[in-house]
Amino acid sequence: MGRPGLNRRHFLAAAGGLTVAGSFGFAALGTGADALASDAGTRVRYWNLFSGGDGYNMIAMLDAFREDNPGIDVKDSTLQWGSPFYTKLAMAAAGNRAPDLGVMHLGRVTGFSPGRLLDPWDVGLLAEYGVREEDFNPELWKRAVVDGKLYALPLDIHVQLCFYRKDVLGKAGLLDADGRMVPVTSADEWFDVLKEAKKATGKGLQTIGLWVNDQNFQWWFFVAFYTQLGGTWFDDTRTEVTFDTDKAVQVLEFLRRHITDGYADPGFGGGAGAEQFVNGAPFVWEGNWSVPVFSGAELDYGATPLPAVFGKPATHAESHSFVLPHQADRGGAANEGAHRLAAYVVQHARQWAGGGHIPAHTPTLSTAAYRELEPQNEYVTAMDHQATEPKVWFAGSTGILAQRVGPIVVSSTMGSAGPETAARRMRSTLTELLATKNPMDGRTAAEGGAVA
Amino acid sequence: MTATGAGTVVRPVRATTAADGAIVRRGQGLQHGGWFVAPFLALFALFVIWPLLRGLYLSFTDANISGDGARFIGLGNYREALKDPLMWDSLGHSAYFTLLVVPCITVLAFLLAMLAHHIEHGTWLWRLCFFLPFLLPSTVAANLWQWLFNPGTGMVNHVFGIGTPWLTDKSYAMLAIVITTLWWTAGFSFLLYLAALQGIPAHLYEAAELDGANAWHRMVHITLPMLRNITGLVLALQILASLQVFDQAVVIQDFGPGPEESTRTFVQYTLEQGFTSYRVGYASAVSIIFFVLIAAVALARMWLLRNREEGGR
Amino acid sequence: MTTTAPQVRVEPRRNWPPSQIVLTLVGTAVSVVFLAPLAWALFTSLKSETEAVEVPPHWLPKEWTGQAWSAVVESGNLTDWLVNSLVVSVCVTAVVLVVSALAGYGFARTEFRGRGALMGVVMTGLMISPAVLGVPLFTTVQQMGMVDTYWGMILPQCAPAAMVYILYKFFQGVPRELEEAALIDGAGRWRVFFTIILPLSRPSLAAVGIFTFISSWNNFLWPYMVTNNPDLMTMPNGIATVMNSYGIQWAQLMAGGLMAGLPLIVVFVFFQRQIVAGVAHTGLAGQ
Repeated sequence: MGRPGLNRRHFLAAAGGLTVAGSFGFAALGTGADALASDAGTRVRYWNLFSGGDGYNMIAMLDAFREDNPGIDVKDSTLQWGSPFYTKLAMAAAGNRAPDLGVMHLGRVTGFSPGRLLDPWDVGLLAEYGVREEDFNPELWKRAVVDGKLYALPLDIHVQLCFYRKDVLGKAGLLDADGRMVPVTSADEWFDVLKEAKKATGKGLQTIGLWVNDQNFQWWFFVAFYTQLGGTWFDDTRTEVTFDTDKAVQVLEFLRRHITDGYADPGFGGGAGAEQFVNGAPFVWEGNWSVPVFSGAELDYGATPLPAVFGKPATHAESHSFVLPHQADRGGAANEGAHRLAAYVVQHARQWAGGGHIPAHTPTLSTAAYRELEPQNEYVTAMDHQATEPKVWFAGSTGILAQRVGPIVVSSTMGSAGPETAARRMRSTLTELLATKNPMDGRTAAEGGAVA
Repeated sequence: MTATGAGTVVRPVRATTAADGAIVRRGQGLQHGGWFVAPFLALFALFVIWPLLRGLYLSFTDANISGDGARFIGLGNYREALKDPLMWDSLGHSAYFTLLVVPCITVLAFLLAMLAHHIEHGTWLWRLCFFLPFLLPSTVAANLWQWLFNPGTGMVNHVFGIGTPWLTDKSYAMLAIVITTLWWTAGFSFLLYLAALQGIPAHLYEAAELDGANAWHRMVHITLPMLRNITGLVLALQILASLQVFDQAVVIQDFGPGPEESTRTFVQYTLEQGFTSYRVGYASAVSIIFFVLIAAVALARMWLLRNREEGGR
Repeated sequence: MTTTAPQVRVEPRRNWPPSQIVLTLVGTAVSVVFLAPLAWALFTSLKSETEAVEVPPHWLPKEWTGQAWSAVVESGNLTDWLVNSLVVSVCVTAVVLVVSALAGYGFARTEFRGRGALMGVVMTGLMISPAVLGVPLFTTVQQMGMVDTYWGMILPQCAPAAMVYILYKFFQGVPRELEEAALIDGAGRWRVFFTIILPLSRPSLAAVGIFTFISSWNNFLWPYMVTNNPDLMTMPNGIATVMNSYGIQWAQLMAGGLMAGLPLIVVFVFFQRQIVAGVAHTGLAGQ
């Protein structure tokens, strides 16, 4: 064994040792680094679930807030969207390690044991910072109130939209003088539009993408059209299922017909619908969060609320809202800071609209800057026709209700179950869920006092 | 997991004298032996045994994710689980996946190993090609195949000139996951087979050749019998891993249960119960059921091996 | 066709009998099938997002662009995840090596009360994984306050019964005579372990280390369960959860995936012999 070999071995050993030591050092620091930085006067810990473009916009708004309020140190953590976020928030609130401020889908609030895992907002304090009830859509505000107390401060409304390509629809003669899609008021009219659009569609492209095999989207579309028909879910005391299977059958048949008439290709069922749209398919039904994606691809497109095929306009809507996760000793400067921060972001949500969301704070909607946003200004009316899930503990974005009922809608749309069977199954599932106890507090929907 | 018998049965004959030496220092050995295993046992107790016991305890309660207010409800969770069609469905999906993957991967790995073993040039290159996918994280492999199976822009349909709705039709969705898994993990079993092939003594083949055995005979009478043990191992490892399938299945379906809930695996079901529905007690009960199932498979293999060994003697 | 080939190559004919040519062709075809998905990922990552989703698809980019790669690097997430993956895998590998070498030796060569029973308990560990007992394991780690920490990711991966078992079998195979002499000279168990046993078992330890590193680097399920903060995520987890939620950005997704796979692939190309031996060894040891 010569010298160089030995040296190389020493070197490798040293490098390896350093990596190991460094890794352990890093791992040790990673748990504690957070606690090191807390010298500013008031510290507001804020958890949100915004990544991608939304995350970018949120950070910009936080930076603006920091500049205006140098005395408040905002410590924001971005967590991954979806079930894990709610799990963590629930755990933190239960373990009394909750942040001062959090973000949550409005539909989830009822299931989150308001009063136990969530603290109510101090409406007086909010008003001091410029947020008043009359600046919000009344329906929206009502959804945020449980047992007479405000548990969520709505930031936005995000809705399901009918995106259309102006280039294709123009060719098919389906645009009006302003270059917007011709209005549709019945199912027959809607299918006529699809028929014309299909003729103008390029080869290898479907006419419309509507997530035919996605349980969340299909459920959201169902909620929208079922609401258009005036359908209801439960009675006011949450003891009786009022789900109307005849109306449900009508909706299910309508959704199914997109496939049987050859407008939606089940092969392009999922996210491929958006890809088809980018490639020149005339329609896609998507959430408004696709606006930055389509704008980024520089498409010539517009977006309206879902067509009012059953007369009364309604489109599925959900909201991001600010909540106060439960703290045993809530109050003081951090709590005031949380109020101030939430009030600030809600009132400065113009930037938020860039992500496609409709700001919940109505004065923002009437500003010139917002009215110039395309295609946001075209679908802003959606906030007056919100179709939302029932206000029960098992509802809410990607919640249990969507998980249980969504697949039934999909099975009908895909044709593996008849609409009547599917509607009956939906009804029995709803009945079952109504009798189920909320694992967080052991109470059923009827006992939960979820009625405002 | 299985050869404890095999190892100790042979060893003592040679080791008696040496073992005496250890026994002389018994008092010292007792302390030291304990210290040697202590660090591992500490971690093992904290992160394997304790969760098992805790899971057992939680399975008799209606605990939720927040960790407080749990009540004892006896066998309620188990009774509910056995009646839950979703549990049986997801168990069926995992079993179906296992049934498809295990034979395919075993045959594929064997054929690849034969190929790489018998080509005389560039063994390292074949090894590299076949093993490479295994080095990718499962989620990357799944994303890649999600892209390959993409209906309009995917290469699979384009290359074969077909329009199969791989990811969106319940009759193909599981198949797509199986194909992904084959591509991703065949390399591992391939390496085991290759090592085993290279371990067959050359003189066996030379002797057979002198006796005038042709290639087919050599394969049937030498190669295959010599690979019996490794095949047993590959099968066992694959069955246990396949029953626990999760990564590929959820990523390729964007964390959903697949078209018409056709790809929800058992692991996915337990996590949904625990983390989406917050029913930690119920999820624990389901996990315990799963543990019993996995243990049964492992014990069955042990029993089979022992039987075979006894039969062979 | 096959008849002409050998005639052209008169000289190396001995090395290339027809059967070898056929096998090599088959091998090449199979390799192409195995590598094509990776090539497709690479080409996709070099297209613009719009070109990537063009119908019908085409292999080579019409316009080569590195925008997906630079976008992925600039977002910063991916480099964080790489560091996290490295930290977690290195720590796991180090702890596993130390702990399971000690335990394997302790079980194989020392005497202490309850050894057999404890070994049996460890064997049951072979049937337990985060996939089997995920929810109870999570609540345990939650109780310890280690959710969303490096330690929460690392420690539960540090008690692999399989590795103890593999080293246990290896140490059993080490001739006792080697230890005997040293023990009679009055050396203690620890000195025997460090000066005699460890140097002998370098190949086995390398095998265990390599296998542990690969599985920890690629581990998805446990980090997925225990982390939610994107700053703490490891590579496989970040790609699956955060990147996937950005919508249809296939070029970036493929670039990210390749970046995640690249480190191990490069390492593999350089240390192929050791890694192959390592994986085969750990696998075969379970026989």
